Amino acid sequence: MPEESILTDDFLHELMSVGEVDLLVGVPTYNDAASIGQIVQAIRAGLVKYFPRQRAVIVNADGGSQDQTQELVRAASINDLQQAPSPHALRTLHSISARYGGGPASGRGLYAILAAADLLHSSACAVISADSTNIEPEWIAHLLQPVCRDGFDLVTPVYHRHKFDGLLLRNLVYPMTRALYARQVREPYPSEFAFSGRLATQIFGQEGWAEEAEQDGAKLYLTISAITSGFKLAQALLGNKTRAQSNPPADVVDALREGVGPLFLSLDHYPAWRSNAPSEPVPIFGGRPELTLDPLRINRKRLYDLFRSGVEELAPLLNSIVSRSTLRELQQLASREEQDFCYCDELWVRTIYEFAASYHRAVINRDHIIQALAPLYRGRAYTFLLENRDSQGEEVERNVEALCLTFEKFKPYLEDLWDGRR
Amino acid sequence: MWDKFVVELSQATQEIIRNLAQFLPRLLVTLITVVIGGLAAWVIEVIVRSVLRLVKFDRLSDDAGASQFLRRTALPSSTELLSRFVFWVAWIGFILVGVNVLGIVGLEPHISKLVAYLPRLVAAVCLIFFGLLAASFFSRAALLAAVNAGSPSPKLISSAVRTLITVLSVSMAFEELGLAEQTVLIAFGLIFGALLFGLALAFGLGGQELAKRFLEARFAHPKQREHEDELSPL
Amino acid sequence: MLFAFGVFVSLSQDLQWYKDALIYQVHVRSFQDSSGDGIGDFRGLAQKLDYLHDLGINTLWLMPFFPSPLRDDGYDISDYRSVHPSYGTLDDFKGFLEAAHARGIRVIIEMVLNHTSDQHAWFQQSRSSRDNPRRDWYVWSDTDTRYQGTRIIFLDTELSNWAWDPVSKQYYWHRFFSHQPDLNYDNPEVREEMWEVMRFWLRLGVDGFRLDAVPYLIEREGTNCENLPETHALLKEYRARLDREFPGKMFLAEANQWPEDLGPYFSAGDEFHMAFHFPLMPRMFMGLKLEDRKPITEILQRTPEIPQTCQWCLFLRNHDELTLEMVTDMERDYMYDEYARDRSMRLNLGIRRRLAPLLDNDRRRIELMNGLLMSLPGTPIIYYGDEIGMGDNVNLGDRNGVRTPMQWDGGWNGGFSLADPEKLYSPLMLNPVYGYQAVNVASQKRFEHSLLSWMKRLLAVRKSSAVFGRGSIEFLYPANHRVLAYVRKWGKETILAVNNLSSSAQAVELDLRAYKGNILIEMFGRNIFPRIGDLPYLLTMGPYQFYWFRLRKV
Repeated sequence: MPEESILTDDFLHELMSVGEVDLLVGVPTYNDAASIGQIVQAIRAGLVKYFPRQRAVIVNADGGSQDQTQELVRAASINDLQQAPSPHALRTLHSISARYGGGPASGRGLYAILAAADLLHSSACAVISADSTNIEPEWIAHLLQPVCRDGFDLVTPVYHRHKFDGLLLRNLVYPMTRALYARQVREPYPSEFAFSGRLATQIFGQEGWAEEAEQDGAKLYLTISAITSGFKLAQALLGNKTRAQSNPPADVVDALREGVGPLFLSLDHYPAWRSNAPSEPVPIFGGRPELTLDPLRINRKRLYDLFRSGVEELAPLLNSIVSRSTLRELQQLASREEQDFCYCDELWVRTIYEFAASYHRAVINRDHIIQALAPLYRGRAYTFLLENRDSQGEEVERNVEALCLTFEKFKPYLEDLWDGRR
Repeated sequence: MWDKFVVELSQATQEIIRNLAQFLPRLLVTLITVVIGGLAAWVIEVIVRSVLRLVKFDRLSDDAGASQFLRRTALPSSTELLSRFVFWVAWIGFILVGVNVLGIVGLEPHISKLVAYLPRLVAAVCLIFFGLLAASFFSRAALLAAVNAGSPSPKLISSAVRTLITVLSVSMAFEELGLAEQTVLIAFGLIFGALLFGLALAFGLGGQELAKRFLEARFAHPKQREHEDELSPL
Repeated sequence: MLFAFGVFVSLSQDLQWYKDALIYQVHVRSFQDSSGDGIGDFRGLAQKLDYLHDLGINTLWLMPFFPSPLRDDGYDISDYRSVHPSYGTLDDFKGFLEAAHARGIRVIIEMVLNHTSDQHAWFQQSRSSRDNPRRDWYVWSDTDTRYQGTRIIFLDTELSNWAWDPVSKQYYWHRFFSHQPDLNYDNPEVREEMWEVMRFWLRLGVDGFRLDAVPYLIEREGTNCENLPETHALLKEYRARLDREFPGKMFLAEANQWPEDLGPYFSAGDEFHMAFHFPLMPRMFMGLKLEDRKPITEILQRTPEIPQTCQWCLFLRNHDELTLEMVTDMERDYMYDEYARDRSMRLNLGIRRRLAPLLDNDRRRIELMNGLLMSLPGTPIIYYGDEIGMGDNVNLGDRNGVRTPMQWDGGWNGGFSLADPEKLYSPLMLNPVYGYQAVNVASQKRFEHSLLSWMKRLLAVRKSSAVFGRGSIEFLYPANHRVLAYVRKWGKETILAVNNLSSSAQAVELDLRAYKGNILIEMFGRNIFPRIGDLPYLLTMGPYQFYWFRLRKV
């Protein structure tokens, strides 16, 4: 356990007055005053509208915001005290806010929410990101209903996205997670999701979760834990995916650290990835996600340039990570002209698997391995953009599906690398 | 004459025997010291090895890239290497003490000097070892950062970092040993100065653009940052 | 004979006696049969006055006992100036009234102003021909399309508010059953006659009237014909006459309306003395089921201030169904699902059940609900039989399931009557849980921990302070929403009531800094609790537990 308990005395005190609930909606925050008010309002509206009879609570786990985040959450409480009586709500709807211990970290926030869900015996729990300014009250229903009504244990979201949004997700995280853990979860790192009390209790009770909470990939581990422990998974269509305007676009290296690092690391923790079951689809509630196709101005040239210079400059480093033949192919690729550049599926999958194996063996510092992946990811992103420049939604989906199948096909290759047979 | 010879001889023989009788216990002590010293050194080695294993020293040197280097040169792991080194230093120390017991005239001051020198030697070796580790780690970190930031000459930055740290650690080691202090200091000063001058020049002349971008990224509003990721990767 | 016991208690001279009243609602028919005909009567009721005095109540509310064809439990009156023969004679009534007053018990009777029975001589004359002088005493029309905006109250039995009279070939207006034609209060003769009826009873000595169905007295086209200004004007006129001729007598309004619509019935203290708080009652049950104080605090916040001389009447159950008219659709669905899953328990927009079965015969919940009834601001009403936890019989039609005979002991007919059981006006409760052999006064009197004994203690504690009837209320809002806490204040007295609405133990921290330095004295055991300091006052409460504390500065 970390020195300071994630669940502070204050937090426990707030939970005590809420008591047992049926539904819990958690919102981890850190300096989110700009969006939090709107988000809590939407959650409230959703709970009152779709779950009027259930005992519900909104739990804001704050990382120590300096702005008004916590005050705004508390002010949004439908309490008989602060607000004019709401004609719709049957019950008191608490919204509590408390700081978790140990300083801001998304994993700690999630851990605190899991702990709250476990302590309050909530049968269903949703987590909403403080970034999701376009949240609708319906999201709450879509996320929680599969848990409450249909007995699912984890509901991950799907969104309508732009066809070029979430490139890392579609080129690496989704296909690889799918290949490894045999479930077709579109968003293994959900920013909004729901889970059952059963799952919360199991995860919270697991040894070592407190340490994993210290790391970035807590959400991924939640997904993988749910898969590998045989919980029932579902997906829910929420709407469009946008991020809060205040956040600058994520840096590629940070995104890799957050997204790929934990995925690679999960291979060490979850031996279940070695099973050879074919991947199973996960039911989607609320309709099918669609890709939007508005034209976008993207600096493709830069992606290409960074790939080329990366392969050239990092050759000695890459040599210790990937196999000699892969490096040779990468170098050939780097010498190609922009227009006939193609970082094809197979080479990409082999690169990733070799990176994963090297990450496992920690041939060099693991963070350096992740950083070394950045130029290669840019090359892949460039290919993806080129390939799907004029594609319609369905075609893009087909390409992603093909990549997934390649990942699945090459899984034995990863196992060979893992066991040192190559 | 013969008698005198016999007397002399017997006297000499007696002297030798006496000396031998005097020397033999010392030799025995020396031998025992060496053997016990060997045992003690072995114990120390075991202790050091388990301590290093406990603190996951291998992992540390993995991170620094030293393991890879050692593997390539067919050397044992860094834990093994360090504990063996400690063993030898300790044993040599004991041997020297043992030799001292022999009481060979003229050897004593040298030996005591050598014994006094040993800890500094260990320190110097450690300095160089960790210095090299650090140099390798930081140069790689610089290389990756530079490549991912799209800087014009990542290799230059990386090797500058490596050289700087290596030179620093080597000069510290020399200083520790007390060898050619002046020379090393001057050499270090020269190299460091040259590097900084070079960097200054590079920033001033060739790297205007880079410096501008760096400063912009550092101080300007984040929205003005030129970034390839108008697309969110996740 | 009654006086032989020497219980002479004079009635208090306070004009606002109704504020301290503890009302017991009873039907003469159901309480005690002295004649052996299977129907309760006034002589029987008089015999049981000692029981009521012993229980601790000080006011009786009698349901209609007038001559009537009894098609609506007596609310269809066929003669306003007499007593139904089954219940005795007018002299029997006078004797009963005298005996009650001798015990300090006041008597409130029903006055059904809105309608009569179709058997009443007035209606018989009115319908006999279109030019009968009493024709205009009722509301007649050639069409059934007038007053279209008016809702139908008895949804389960009536299709229209108009009924066709085949004799005089016109429609007549009725808000309730079709055999209850509405009187026409636009006719001054009707107004005068009804006041004369009231004077008749007031002169006999009754202490007040529960005026039935007052929102519906007058009809106007283009309105929903409820709460009309003309109706209020009429009621104010009656009140003025009452105050002039019979000071100290009281009007209680039966108006099933939202609290904000009830304001006009109190007006400036010149219309009704008391009115039922209908919306509160279902919300008390809802709060208990939800384990959440919100429904209760919310409705009391919505309740307007009433003039100083006026008072709310609170009740848990009464002779009607537990009405769900004054709740939202969502709340009604919830109440049905939680309290009347069986459709046969529902009637109109309500639930026809008694208190004990509604609360699953859970003693803790029954106690908590009675505790709330006694400590929330208003005058409480106990429905007969609920003080011993009587059950109901949903197999009897309409609301008869909650009007079965009072269960006095485990003997013949439960001690209610010496008649053959087949002759009783209603079958007795017989099941092993609620039957008269299990639930009766005699057996509960013998045990100190019976519900009856507990109710006596509750009433005694309630009577020990005028705060409950007269004080202000201020809610505390502890973070734990399962706990309903409020402070009642009147004069120098302050009482804190804390109620745990949940089925599990709860901890609650009360912000009592305003009362710093006081000690708490628990009112049932008179035990001292720690002094209030600067820190939140921590109380732990068992399931459905409630505390009443008197605050004392020491």
